[in-house]
Amino acid sequence: MSDGTPAVSYAPNTALLIFLLYTLGVFALAWVSNRLLRSKSFLSEYFLGSRSLGVWAFALTFAATSASGGSFTGFPSKIYSHGWILALWIGSYIVVPICGMGILGKRINQIARRTGAITVPDVIRDRFNNPAFGVLATTLIVFFMSINLTAQFKSGSLILKTLLNDVPLFQALAQQASDLKEGSSLLAGVDSAYLLCLLVFAVAVIVYTTYGGFHAVVWTDVMQGIVMVLGVLILLPLALIQVGGLESATDQFKEMTPPRIGSARLELDGPSQQGTVIPAGSWILLHDGSDDRVLRTGREAVIPAGLNQVESVQVLEITTDRQAQQLKRRIQANEVPTLSPNISATITQMEDYRYGADQPGTYLTGPGPDRHSDLGFLPLSLAISFFFMWAISGSGQPGSMVRLMAFNNSLTLRRSIFTVSIYYSLIYFPLVIIFCCSRIFLPGMDLESDRIMPATAVFLSSGAGMPWLAGILVAAPFAAVMSTVDSFLLVISSALVRDVYQRNINPNVSEQRIKWMSYACTVLVGLGAVAGAVSPPQFLQDIIVYTGSGLAACFLGPIALGLYWPRVNAAGAIAGMLGGFLSHLLLYIIGYAVYGRFASYRLLSMDPLIWGLFASFLLVVIVSKITPPPPEALVRRYFYRTV
Amino acid sequence: MSSENRALSVHYEYDPVFLHSRREAIIIVGVWALGLLWSVPYCYLRGYNLSPQEIHTIWGIPSWVFWGIGVPWIIADLFTAWFCFWYMSLDDLGEEQENPETLQGIERSGETRLESPHE
Repeated sequence: MSDGTPAVSYAPNTALLIFLLYTLGVFALAWVSNRLLRSKSFLSEYFLGSRSLGVWAFALTFAATSASGGSFTGFPSKIYSHGWILALWIGSYIVVPICGMGILGKRINQIARRTGAITVPDVIRDRFNNPAFGVLATTLIVFFMSINLTAQFKSGSLILKTLLNDVPLFQALAQQASDLKEGSSLLAGVDSAYLLCLLVFAVAVIVYTTYGGFHAVVWTDVMQGIVMVLGVLILLPLALIQVGGLESATDQFKEMTPPRIGSARLELDGPSQQGTVIPAGSWILLHDGSDDRVLRTGREAVIPAGLNQVESVQVLEITTDRQAQQLKRRIQANEVPTLSPNISATITQMEDYRYGADQPGTYLTGPGPDRHSDLGFLPLSLAISFFFMWAISGSGQPGSMVRLMAFNNSLTLRRSIFTVSIYYSLIYFPLVIIFCCSRIFLPGMDLESDRIMPATAVFLSSGAGMPWLAGILVAAPFAAVMSTVDSFLLVISSALVRDVYQRNINPNVSEQRIKWMSYACTVLVGLGAVAGAVSPPQFLQDIIVYTGSGLAACFLGPIALGLYWPRVNAAGAIAGMLGGFLSHLLLYIIGYAVYGRFASYRLLSMDPLIWGLFASFLLVVIVSKITPPPPEALVRRYFYRTV
Repeated sequence: MSSENRALSVHYEYDPVFLHSRREAIIIVGVWALGLLWSVPYCYLRGYNLSPQEIHTIWGIPSWVFWGIGVPWIIADLFTAWFCFWYMSLDDLGEEQENPETLQGIERSGETRLESPHE
C-alpha cells in the first residue's frame, strides 16, 4: 500500500462524520452537566464537581488531562524520528500514576476538604494563611497555563486540519474564509484552513467548557480517554500484521540508517502558462551516474506560471539500501505518488544527520539518531532529566492537583491509581511499537513526522479494509488535545474568579454574579488563547516544555512540603516558589543568549527542571528554618487531631 | 515541656491521615528512585552505541528495552496493584466544611498552645 497521499483522503466524509458525532456528544455532556449546576453550590460544582468523582471519572480525567495532544502527535513523531530509544525517554511512565496521584493525593484532598478549597491557590492561601501567597500562586498559574493553552489550541487546530483537509465541504469553507480575510492586514499571513479549524475547535471547546464546567470536562475526558485507548489497541495488531511481526520489523531496523535532508531544484521541461503544483510527499527517482537515488519532497512546491523551475525544495533521501530498492520498484511501477515525468530534479544541497548517519541499527539503540545534535537524541544526562520530568514534574502540575482535590474518598483513589497504571501501560509502550513499525510501512516521512499519527491510522485502517476506522483513530489525538485544553481553561478561569475576585476583592459576591463571572472568564480566557494561536510564536514545543517544567519548579516544593512538613512556613514556601520560578527562567534566558532562540541552557547537561526543583526545595527548607516557625494554631489545624 | 502543657498536649496527636500519607509518599518516591536507578543505567550500559550484531531481541523487542523498560513496567504495575489494594490506608478524608474555621477563630477559642514537636 502506498503512502504520500494526504492523510485522510481514503475516508474524508467518514472523518467529518466522526468529528461531528464526537462534537455533538461533547455538547450533550455539557448540557447534562449544566443541569447539575442548578442543584448544587455553583463554584464548588463548576470548578470541582463538588468533590464527587468516582473511580472511572477520576481515573480517566486524570489520565486524559495528562495525556495531551503531545502524546498522540509529538510522541509518535519522536518515535518515528528516533526509534526505540523513545521507550527510555518515556520510561518513568512506569510510575507516573502512582507518583502523580499517590504522593499528594490523599493529603491535598483532605486539606482541601478541611478548608473548603476549590483551587490550588485556595489551598496555598489557606494552608499558609497568607492571601498574598495565594495571589502569587494565581499569577504564576495564569502566566504559565495561558501560554500553554495557546500552544494547545494551535495543536488542536492542526490535528483538526489534518482530519478535515480533504473534505470537500471543508475546502469550500476554507476558500470562503480566505476570501473573507482578504484585505485584513492582521490575518494576512495566516493559512485560512488553519484559521477555520482554529475557530471551529475554539468554539467547540469554549462552549462546552463554559456551559458545563468541571463535570462536562470530566465526562468528556472519560469519553476521550476511551477513544484514546481504543485507538491504540486497534492500531497495535494492525501495525504488527502489516510488518509481518515484530521480529521481522526489528530485523529490518538493523539495516536502517537515517535519511539525508537537503534541497533540490525542480524544473519543468518548458515554461507553463499556469502554475504547477508539486504535492508534498512526491517520490523522485534520481539517476545519478551509475547510482539511483530515491528522494521525497517534504513540502508542497509551486512552479509559478510563466516560469519553469523552483529552487530550494526541501527533500529527503532514503539511505537504507533495502528500502531504497523497494521504493525504486514502486516508483517505477507508479505505486506511489511520483514527480510528473515532465519535471526533473537536481540536488542542490544534502546533509547527513549529526548523529547516526551511516550507522545501521541506530534506530534500535541509544542515544538514537538526531538531525541536529552531535550527542544523539537522548544522551545519558537527558535520559535522567526525562525520568524526573514525567513522574516528578507531572506531580507538580496544578491541573493534576485540582483533580486530586475532586475524588470522593480513599477507596476511589486506590482504584484509580491502579486503573491509570493499566491505562498508561496499554497506551505508551504500544505506541512505541506502532510507530517504530510505521518507519517500515510509511518510509520517508521524517520531514512531516507530525502527521505520522493520522497517516498511520489511515494507512492501517485502509489496509485492513476498514477505511471508516481512520476517522475514529484520528479522533484520538484530537480528543487528547480537547481534554487538556478544557482543563486548562477551567484552572485559569477559576484562578481569576475565585482566587483573585472572590477571595481578595469581593468575598460577599452573590452566587448569581459569581456564576456569570465564571462563564465570562472562561469565554474570555479561551478567546485570549485563540488570539494568541492565530499567529503563534515559533519554538512552540520548547515553550510547552518551559511551561510544564516551570509549573513543577514553582509548585511542587511548596505544596509537597506544605502537606508533609509541619515546620514549613509562608516565608519558606514563598521563597521556594519564587526561587523555583526564577532559577528555571534564568536557565532559559541564558539559553536564549547562548543559542539565539528560545531554548533551555542545560547546566551540567541537566534540564532546567532539575535545577528549578532543587532550588525550590532547598529554599523552602532553608528559609523556613531561618525564619520564625509557623503559628501553632495553623500547624495544629493541618497536622494534628484531637483525641 | 511543663507538666501543665504535658497534661494538655495529650489532647492532640498527629493526624493519622498525615502520617499514613507521608509514609506512603516516601515509599512512592523510593520506588520512583529505584526505577531511575535501574532503567537508566541498564538501558545506557546495555543499549547504547550497539552495532547491529550486538542487538538481541526478545519477542522482537530489543533486549535492553525488554529488560530495561518492559519488565520494570510490569513489575511497577504489580507493585502498584499491591500498594493500592493491600498497603495504602483507607483513610477518612473528612467532609467538606461549609464554614471552615479561620485561624483567628482557633486562637480566640483559648486552646492551649502546643509545644513545638515539629522543629
